Amino acid sequence: MSGPPGMESVFQEEELGKAVDMRLLLRLWQFVAPYRGQVLLTLLMVAPMFLLELAPAWIVKTGLDQVILESNGGAAAAGNGEAAAAGEGGALAALLQGPEGVPLLAWLVFLYGIAVVSSALLQYLHMLIMASTGMAAVRDLRRAIFDHIQKLHMGFFDTIPVGRLVTRATSDAEHVAEMFSQGIVAAITDVIKMIGFATALFLVDAKLALMVFSIVPLLAIALVVFRLRVREAFRLTRVLLARINATLQETVTGMKVVQLFTREERNRREFAELNGAHRDGWKRSIYYDSALFSTVEFAGGITVAIVIWQGTGIASAGVLYVFINWMRRFFMPLRDLSAKYSVMQSAMASTERMFQLLDTEPDIQDPPADRARHVHAPGEDQPRGEVVFENVWFAYSGEDWVLRDVSFRVRPGEKVAFVGATGAGKTTIIKLLTRLYEVTRGRILIDGVDLRDLPQNELRRRVGMVLQDVFLFSGTVADNLHLGRDDIDGERLRQAAMAVEADAFIQRLPEGYDTEVRERGTNFSAGQRQLLSFARALAHGADVLVLDEATSSIDTETEAMVQRGIHVLMEGKTSLVIAHRLSTIEDVDRIYVLDGGRLAESGPHAELLARDGLYARLHRLQQAGETAAA
Amino acid sequence: MSIAATGFETDPDVIAENRRAMLRSLWHYVRLNARDYVLGSIYTLGYVVGFIAVPMLVGWAVSAVAEGLPPAEVARRCAWLAAAGVARSLLRFVSRVRLFNAAREIEFQLRNDLFEHLQRLPQSFYFHWRTGDLMSRCVNDLTAVRLMLGPGLLSVVQTPFLFLAAFGSMFWMNPTLAFLVLLPYPLFVLVSRALGRAMHANNLAVQAGLADISNQLQESIAGIAVVKAYAMEDTSRRRFDEVSQELYERQIGMVKVNGAMPAITGLLPMLGMAIVFYVAGGQIQTGEMDLASFFAFSMFIYELTFPTFILGWVFALVQRGTASMQRIDEVLKTEPSIAEPESPAEMGTLRGEVEFRDLTFEYPGGGREPALRDIDLRIPAGSVIGVVGPVGGGKTTLASLIPRLFEVPRGHLFVDGVDVNDIGLHDLRSQIAMVPQDSFLFSMSLADNVAYGLPETEARSVVEAAERAQLAKDVEDLPAGYETLVGERGVMLSGGQRQRTALARALALDPRILILDDTLSAVDAETEAAIREGLERVFAGRTVVVVASRVSTVRDADLIVVLDQGRIVERGSHAELMAEGGLYSRLAREEEEAGEPGTDADPVAGAALGGEA
Repeated sequence: MSGPPGMESVFQEEELGKAVDMRLLLRLWQFVAPYRGQVLLTLLMVAPMFLLELAPAWIVKTGLDQVILESNGGAAAAGNGEAAAAGEGGALAALLQGPEGVPLLAWLVFLYGIAVVSSALLQYLHMLIMASTGMAAVRDLRRAIFDHIQKLHMGFFDTIPVGRLVTRATSDAEHVAEMFSQGIVAAITDVIKMIGFATALFLVDAKLALMVFSIVPLLAIALVVFRLRVREAFRLTRVLLARINATLQETVTGMKVVQLFTREERNRREFAELNGAHRDGWKRSIYYDSALFSTVEFAGGITVAIVIWQGTGIASAGVLYVFINWMRRFFMPLRDLSAKYSVMQSAMASTERMFQLLDTEPDIQDPPADRARHVHAPGEDQPRGEVVFENVWFAYSGEDWVLRDVSFRVRPGEKVAFVGATGAGKTTIIKLLTRLYEVTRGRILIDGVDLRDLPQNELRRRVGMVLQDVFLFSGTVADNLHLGRDDIDGERLRQAAMAVEADAFIQRLPEGYDTEVRERGTNFSAGQRQLLSFARALAHGADVLVLDEATSSIDTETEAMVQRGIHVLMEGKTSLVIAHRLSTIEDVDRIYVLDGGRLAESGPHAELLARDGLYARLHRLQQAGETAAA
Repeated sequence: MSIAATGFETDPDVIAENRRAMLRSLWHYVRLNARDYVLGSIYTLGYVVGFIAVPMLVGWAVSAVAEGLPPAEVARRCAWLAAAGVARSLLRFVSRVRLFNAAREIEFQLRNDLFEHLQRLPQSFYFHWRTGDLMSRCVNDLTAVRLMLGPGLLSVVQTPFLFLAAFGSMFWMNPTLAFLVLLPYPLFVLVSRALGRAMHANNLAVQAGLADISNQLQESIAGIAVVKAYAMEDTSRRRFDEVSQELYERQIGMVKVNGAMPAITGLLPMLGMAIVFYVAGGQIQTGEMDLASFFAFSMFIYELTFPTFILGWVFALVQRGTASMQRIDEVLKTEPSIAEPESPAEMGTLRGEVEFRDLTFEYPGGGREPALRDIDLRIPAGSVIGVVGPVGGGKTTLASLIPRLFEVPRGHLFVDGVDVNDIGLHDLRSQIAMVPQDSFLFSMSLADNVAYGLPETEARSVVEAAERAQLAKDVEDLPAGYETLVGERGVMLSGGQRQRTALARALALDPRILILDDTLSAVDAETEAAIREGLERVFAGRTVVVVASRVSTVRDADLIVVLDQGRIVERGSHAELMAEGGLYSRLAREEEEAGEPGTDADPVAGAALGGEA
């Protein structure tokens, strides 16, 4: 993919639902559980963090009331609250009095410094632990998803675009990580702190606190209303942005068609419309978001006025200070509560999607260990490579039979070919033999063992597959030949490449076998890619070979090399060729003609011709074509 | 990458010029929204006044309490404080709305302009620029510019005034203390700026890590058949684990830096407060300072925290925003080299005659061999011409020049005797239909795809076109018929269905000139024969250019030209060329030997139209 990460997600219009779903959170817990020690630690840290946040204002208050204004003689009478609070803990009072001989103000400033520095350190640590726990859990989740994706059967990949699967392990995983760093834990911490500050304020002066908090219900209503509006607008803009970006990407990709069909003007109009709706959505969102922001600020300002006004006569300057300071801390989290809410919402939606993927059972599974059979257990004969289809039926879904009651036997070392019109079921034979799909009825045997009793790994090492379109991975040419099998050394690779005439062009590459394959092999021609796939199959040394003849255009010279390569590849192996051209298969041992999913005819070329059936007709049509061309 | 991607330029003059150009285009958009910006700035200044007033009023009110003034006086002062608080919130609200809206407006305008511009750029542009790169400019860079012009600009306008006003007031109240409090700020700005840079670098590293993950995944899934066939699950799991762990480590690195920011920002005002606490504490005791100033100071310190914190972020915003604007500018300043003629010729309905006169064509971007050389070719109106030759011979290029997908030099290509450069683009392209090799479909309904080139009001020929392209029968089997959504790039359809849809889309135009570029490779032979039959009727009375990689495809054409390395090496009818014994006859023989009567998918029917993609 050439686009930046997250680009795939623009195609998905996200559905947002609940912000907290206990069922999902519980399932998520299994990924967090290995780090439960860290989770516990972050929870335990909340109390000291909160106390350290309370402390500075209280220290200043003590200084104001007991030192600064005391000696100035201008202090108001100490409030009731202060007396109550001071009586609370002898230890605290003692600490605030400091050691003998140290000026009290200096001691308090010292305490203040310690409190703020350790508070900052603790918060930093807390955040670090919280975020790294989330990231570790998400890393494990990502691995689980990748593992699971690899286990899924081929049919699954026919139905889901690649981009969507990539999104599961990228953006969706990131959303969950965000939940840890900015969502759930932070929200819980915020709520605990708000309750804490409110309680502390009531303890200091219940009457004053009551006055101040009288505006909270009003504030809460305003906040809820604004937040709902912001959320609505935000959700809309999100969907619109996804559409905008999808449109952009599609238009850029299909620009040739856009221009050929002079669609520019209409596209421009439609795009501007979409873009305008997005802008308007944002303006609404900005409006309510700013209102929210200002309301919180407004509440902060008005409560200060209330505190001072109502504090007259009952509160000391120190208490006023404490109130102003703590009130501010109480209101602070309200401002970004809505942000946390949306983080939670998208995290929940992402979690749901990821678990959906994890819940998709692979249709094709290895046999349980006790039933697993091995084709050649130690001491038994060498693998022979006999392939038997016994009354095989197959449908991708329901009763749409692609293969109907197909039976045949390919003896070790034989070469057979399958011919028939598109949709006759040729390619399906390959997919079933390699167990990329499971037979619906009947069974397939390899050296007498049912495929379903054979571990997939073993099956696939025995059956080499060469597909029409050759897939090359990023990495070097050599990487693409051995595909991670370390028992295939450089010498074996070269021999394989030489045998199929790929060595020559590989050697001509700037760095030979160590040349990097670029962007899925665009630096190789179709023919070269074919030869590479032959070398790959040969190096892996399977004893049964299935080959889907390529139909992509190759220049005639390479074509000849490819044909020679096929012959080398098939040497000494049981080979099943899906043929798209009749001329290349005239010398195989047997030809199977498929028609509408049934085996219509079988036999050697000459015999089939003599029978004057379907094959003979196909062959005549081809002959006629050649004569016409000549 | 782009031809002139940012960052590769080393000439200081060019860099400076690019920067100036970028600032000019930024200015252009800001000016379009001048009203919002002016009003927003005025409101912001009003907010600054409120910002100063509130702490001062708090001090004033507290001192009334401390001095034991009558409750009425306290209430009066508190009322002032409340009023100032309300005014400040309102001003904050209007300034925020104004400036943020302006930024969204610019985002809207810029995105529209980008889209419009991209549609005007020729195909050669898309040779050099990858979709991912363009998308990144339209998505990520646009966001960066918007952030710079919204929150960034707000902060740039507001913060200097906030600081000036706040410190002015503090100096007015108590110069010594103001000076002491001011001390840590410059240090803080430096630290936050450094942190901002580190944050940016870490962020890029994490983004790159995410890209690695996504590439790894995409590759593993796209190649899942090979992964399974060669039992390489463990290998690819190992590779995935590596990139996943790498991302994790980078993320931790990012968190370490990102987390330092709020910790330090939180600490700064607290330390400032410690200074105030100690110094003012002493000064109040000696009567040098009053309680009002103490409260005002402590309020100021807290109120300045947020703007200071933002400042570090704003540096990063502006840096990123200007770099992004430059990247956007790169796209916008690419002149569309295919422009509408100033006075387009009156063409009316085309006859469909095409003539190449001594045309040599070279793809822009330099350094490459000409794709076509000395092409002289007259295609009479209403004739069918076949273009064949080896891969890379210039067949597709030749075909693409007729609808002017690439910039054609003047005086070398004529349609109905008029230089294509003098024909209005819409006039030209609406009468030429080309079916490109890759049958790209849009994620809309099948009917909309077929009607893609038709005016909105004209749904007439959808069904007819679908029938001619042998698509109609398939449509019956689709869940929602013509209204079936074909999905991204038409994934819901088979390869053959996609190609026939693309064909129908071209036929719907009822074009005077029809160009088929190796179109029907994924269509099975029987269907192809049927299409071919339908096409024969379609071909009648039109000029048709059939590009094919197999000679058998074009043997019935009125004229066949063979292109090799950009030159026409042979021309004539099938029989003539076979008799000539040149490249054409050799290609034909080789095809025959390879058992290729012209169909490749299945050896059924004889004549075929398209070769392979």
